[in-house]
Amino acid sequence: MSRTSPAALATSVGRRYRSGLHETRTAAWLGVALGVAFGVCFLTGVWSHLAQDPPSWFTYPARPAGLYRVTQGVHVVTGTATIPLLLAKLWVVHPRLVEWPPARSVLHAVERAALLPLVGGALFLVVSGTANVARWYPWTFFFPRAHFWAAWITIGALVVHTGAKVGATRDVLRSPARTTSPGPATPGADDEVPMDAPVTTVGATPGDRRAFLVGVAAASGVLAVATAGGTVSPLDRFSVLAQRRPGVGPQGLPVNKTAVGARVVELARSPDYRLVIEGERAERCELTLADLRAQPQHEATLPIACVEGWSASARWRGVRVRDLVALAGVDASRAVTVESLQPSGLYRASELNPQQVADPDTLLALEIDGRVLHIDHGYPARLIGPNRPGVAQTKWVARLVVR
Amino acid sequence: MTASGLPATTSRRGLAWGLALGLPVLGYGLRGVAIDAARTHPAELARWVVGAAVVNDLVLIPAAIAVGWTARRLVPSRAWAAVRGGLLATGALALVAWPFVRGYGRDPANPSLLPRNYGAGLVAAVIVVWTVVGSVLVVAEIRARGRRRGQCR
Repeated sequence: MSRTSPAALATSVGRRYRSGLHETRTAAWLGVALGVAFGVCFLTGVWSHLAQDPPSWFTYPARPAGLYRVTQGVHVVTGTATIPLLLAKLWVVHPRLVEWPPARSVLHAVERAALLPLVGGALFLVVSGTANVARWYPWTFFFPRAHFWAAWITIGALVVHTGAKVGATRDVLRSPARTTSPGPATPGADDEVPMDAPVTTVGATPGDRRAFLVGVAAASGVLAVATAGGTVSPLDRFSVLAQRRPGVGPQGLPVNKTAVGARVVELARSPDYRLVIEGERAERCELTLADLRAQPQHEATLPIACVEGWSASARWRGVRVRDLVALAGVDASRAVTVESLQPSGLYRASELNPQQVADPDTLLALEIDGRVLHIDHGYPARLIGPNRPGVAQTKWVARLVVR
Repeated sequence: MTASGLPATTSRRGLAWGLALGLPVLGYGLRGVAIDAARTHPAELARWVVGAAVVNDLVLIPAAIAVGWTARRLVPSRAWAAVRGGLLATGALALVAWPFVRGYGRDPANPSLLPRNYGAGLVAAVIVVWTVVGSVLVVAEIRARGRRRGQCR
C-alpha cells in the first residue's frame, strides 16, 4: 500500500464531490432558511412549554382563544417542512466532513465541535417530533422533556454557528452571483476543500443554484401540505400524512386520550359521580350531574388544539368555572387546579390561572354541539377554555381545588 | 486556510460572539437534561443525538449521493434539475411517511388517531410529485423548441 498522506486523501475525497452546489452561496441561502425555520420552531415550542408548565414569573394569557392552535400548528408544520431544507444543507456541506487537518487551531476545533450538537440536535428534533406525531416511541425517555432540552442545546449550537458564519453569509448574499459557468468543481489549493475556495472560482451556475433551491423549497412545500390538514381543514384531502382528519372521531371531533385508555369508564358512568369543589379558602361543595345541569349554562365555540399539531373547533355548553368557584364562596381572583377521575397519568390534572378562571368562556362543559359529551370527550364533565393546549383541557373532571 | 487558523468562511469575531451568546444557551440545555435525568435519560438521549448525526453523515447523505450519481447518468442533463427536486421530495416524503405507513402508533380503542391509509397516501403524493416534475419538463421542452425554432429563422 502506498503511503498516502491524510491531507492528500482528504483532498482526493473532496474532489469526488462533483456537484458545483457544494459551495458557500448555496450553503448560505439554505442556512438563512434553516435559521428562520428553527427560530420559528424554537419560539413556538418554548411558548407551548410556557402554556403547559408556566413558571411562577409568567402568566399565560387566556386570550386570544385561537392563539395556541396557531402557534402549535405552525410549530409542527414548520418542523416537518424543515426536513428537506436540513437534508439539502447537510448534503451541500458534506465535503467538509472530511478535512485535513481536522482542526487547524483550537478555535477551529471548538467551532467544529459545536457542529455535533447542531447537526445531531437538529436531526434529533425533526426525527423525534415526526415520530411523536406518528405516536411512535422507539426510546424510553419522555418525549416532551427530551425534545425541549435538546432544542435548547441545538439552538445554543446554532447561535455559535450563526456567529461564525454570519459575516460570510452576508458577504456572499450581498455580492452578485456569477453569470458564467465555472466548469466542473475542482478544489483550489491542495490544502483546500471546495467549500473553502472563493465562491468566484468554484461553484454552481446561478441557474443551477436557483433550480436546486426551488426544488428544495418545493419539497418543503409538499411536506407542509402533506401534514397541515389536521389543523388547516381545507387541506384535509391533500394531507395524506396528517395524524388526524377534521370531523373524524366521536361526535365529529378527534380524541386524544380515550376513556378506556384512561381507565375511567366505570367511574365516569357511575350514578355516584360528584363534582367536588374545595380548597383552603373555599366552602366544600359537592354537585351531582343533575346539580350541574341545573346551574346557568353558557355556550362557547372553542378549539381543541393538540400539542401534536392538530386542532378542531366545537360548540361547547356547560357551567362557567368562575360560577362554580363562586358557589364555594370564592371570587374568581384565585387559581384553580382541575383534577380528573383518572387514577393516574401525567395529565390527570391541569391548572387554571386567575385570568383563565375569570374568563367567561372557561367552562366545565357538559355538551358538545348540542349533545351530551361522548365518554371519550370527557363525560360527564370536561374543562374547556380559550387558548389552552389540548392536554390541559382536562376530561372526566371530578374535583376543582381553589388555590 | 487563512492566517487566523480558521476557514475562510468563519469570522473570528463572529465566532467569539457566537460562543459568548450560544454556549450559555447550550449549557442551559445540558443542565436541563441533567436535572431532568429521570425523564430525559441522558445516556440514551446522547446516543440518539450522536446517532442521528452519524447515520445522516455515513448512511443517508452517501445514499443520496449514490442515488443522485446514478440518476444523473440516466437522465438528460436539461431534465436533471427537475428530477433532482422530485427525488428530494420523494425521499423526504418516504422518510416522514414511514412510521405512519408502519402504523406503530395505531390504537384500536381510538380510531380517530391515524385514521388514514397512509401507504396509499404516500403513493398518491409521490405520483403527484412526479406528475409535476413531468409537467415542468414538458413545458421547458416546448419552450426550448420554440426558442430554437426562433433562432433558425
